[in-house]
Amino acid sequence: MGALVLCAALSLALGSRSVPLATVVDALTGAAHGGDADVVTGLRVPRTLIGLAVGAALGVAGAVAQGVTRNPLASPITLGINAGASLAVVAAIYTLDLSRPAEYVWFAFAGAAVAAVAAYAMSRRGGDLDPVRLALGGTVLTVVLTSWTSALMLASHRTLDEARFWLAGSIAGRHLDTLTPVLPFLVLGLVAAFAISPALNALALGDETAQSLGVPVARIRVVGGLAVVLLAGSAVAVSGPVAFIGLAAPHLVRPLLGNDHRWLLPGCLITGPLLLLAADVLGRLVVRPSEIEVGIVTAFLGAPLLAVLARKVAK
Amino acid sequence: MTAPTDPTRLTAPTAPTARTRRTGAITRRRARTAAWSLLALALLVLLTGVALGTGQVSISAWDALRALFGQGEPGNVLVVQQFRAPRVVSALIAGAGLAMAGSMLQRLFRNPLAAPDTIGITGGASFGAVLMLATGASQQLIPLAAVGGGLLAAMLLGGFAWRSKMAVTRLVLVGLAVQQGLAAAVNLMIVRFPAELASSAMQWTTGSLYGRNWTEVWIGGTAIALTAAALLLCQRRVAVLDLGDDSAGGLGLNPARDRLWLLLLTITLASLAAALTGPVAFVALAVPHLVRLLAGPPTLGTLGLTALTGAVLLLSADLLVLHVIPVHGLPVGAVTATLGAPWLLVLMIRQGRLPQRSS
Repeated sequence: MGALVLCAALSLALGSRSVPLATVVDALTGAAHGGDADVVTGLRVPRTLIGLAVGAALGVAGAVAQGVTRNPLASPITLGINAGASLAVVAAIYTLDLSRPAEYVWFAFAGAAVAAVAAYAMSRRGGDLDPVRLALGGTVLTVVLTSWTSALMLASHRTLDEARFWLAGSIAGRHLDTLTPVLPFLVLGLVAAFAISPALNALALGDETAQSLGVPVARIRVVGGLAVVLLAGSAVAVSGPVAFIGLAAPHLVRPLLGNDHRWLLPGCLITGPLLLLAADVLGRLVVRPSEIEVGIVTAFLGAPLLAVLARKVAK
Repeated sequence: MTAPTDPTRLTAPTAPTARTRRTGAITRRRARTAAWSLLALALLVLLTGVALGTGQVSISAWDALRALFGQGEPGNVLVVQQFRAPRVVSALIAGAGLAMAGSMLQRLFRNPLAAPDTIGITGGASFGAVLMLATGASQQLIPLAAVGGGLLAAMLLGGFAWRSKMAVTRLVLVGLAVQQGLAAAVNLMIVRFPAELASSAMQWTTGSLYGRNWTEVWIGGTAIALTAAALLLCQRRVAVLDLGDDSAGGLGLNPARDRLWLLLLTITLASLAAALTGPVAFVALAVPHLVRLLAGPPTLGTLGLTALTGAVLLLSADLLVLHVIPVHGLPVGAVTATLGAPWLLVLMIRQGRLPQRSS
């Protein structure tokens, strides 16, 4: 929690134009005016708030996805959510001439939902979700959707030029009006996730055991899947596809708080934004005065993490 | 496939009958492999004729074939020799190379999902090629850079997985990580590029066959043929490795070292193929499954069939791109992904019902 506050403070202070922390506090309380204060309240506060929301959504979505599929490598990406949102946004840019991230929100959300429903439909077996099929189906779906996205982008230069920045995944230059439309879905997703967190513990023991403990396995899977779609869909709608937060957050929390989902989920609620803001700040500092999109930073940092995870999983 | 539950074999396992049955089964499988190979070869010739003959200028298959060897009308000769043939030939050799590489990777990793796409090799090739585009070097150097990128990915893979003695699960997961990291690097460059460079980088990373010339085809083709021949020579070793690490060790192989060398060869093959056409999705992943379905477990013969099937698949996908789908400039990778995915999914689900292979 302390680290998160620190990160939020850094996110407000650092950037192509660094602002001393004292001025940040003054600007937030309304005591200071002028260039620095405008930067803080006008640009960095929305950016940091969006970062917090997106990070929290991704972190919790990752924990729920891993719990529901009982697969430590599952994440919203494995459900094809990012790929679906990307295709929908690129198609919208191609056909409707959109050019502002705030206009992409509904398309991204719809694309994410459709892709996830398709992934679930492929993995249904006898009214229940088959975790292995879900992972495979999601991966295959991702490859197909990605190839269609590139085909569309190649068909029109303008689309490519508009979409490639959104596709990298970034929380820069967003206003709060990008976040507000998806906020209800995000909150609903969080509520659903926390409601099923005790049941996820039972699910971790295996389907039969969970069933005999009186947990409605199939229903929990559906609710969990819904929560993942709502959370990850909102996140991708706001920031574009940001990889690895959903995968990494639960793995960082587990050694600290154990495998109990009632603790894991709040832990991810804090770790997710922490990771996202840290990556965002890092992206701003590496190539000052320009910046690297947060999605690219997380992908770079996430790859070694996956390699380390491989060591653990393979053991 | 013979039924292993054959009652006569269970009750009376007398040596001669069991032996004849086994050889009988092997002969039948060989015959089936040969039949499918002939069919694939026929399809290949047919499709090549169609590919050479159709386009803006229609040429009959016979005339196209004659034009290929410099006979007939000069106009036809120009169109066929300079424009159509390089494209067709690159589709054929890249398809064959990718399919063979995929088949080898699936055997070495003992994982039905292993392919150059999933373990980072094509990601490395894309990275090399896009980096070369970024430095503005001549087009000729791009395939070379792609091979270098593929080998770089292989080195990363080996470096991370070496200490675990190339254990299979570890390799697959590390491969996934390498693929993601390199994809991020490519993505970064695409975002930073000016628009037209970003477009050609995108084109490259999706896999397409536009604008191939003979120099590329000759260099790539020779290198691919040499690597493929080396792999074919190692088939006996691969067959022993298929028995599992312990048995292979007992038979006098050093599993870790041999797997490393075979992997290196396979990865070179995949990078060379990717250098020619870009990372065309699903050919390497899907063709080995198809061949296993048609002709049974892998042998030397089925590896040849795999190469033929890959060539046929990529060429037919390219024909679809050129003549059936009315979208200009569609990359062939989009078509192979669309066609390959649902079908692969069906295969996976069927395989999921069978007992898992040990890994």
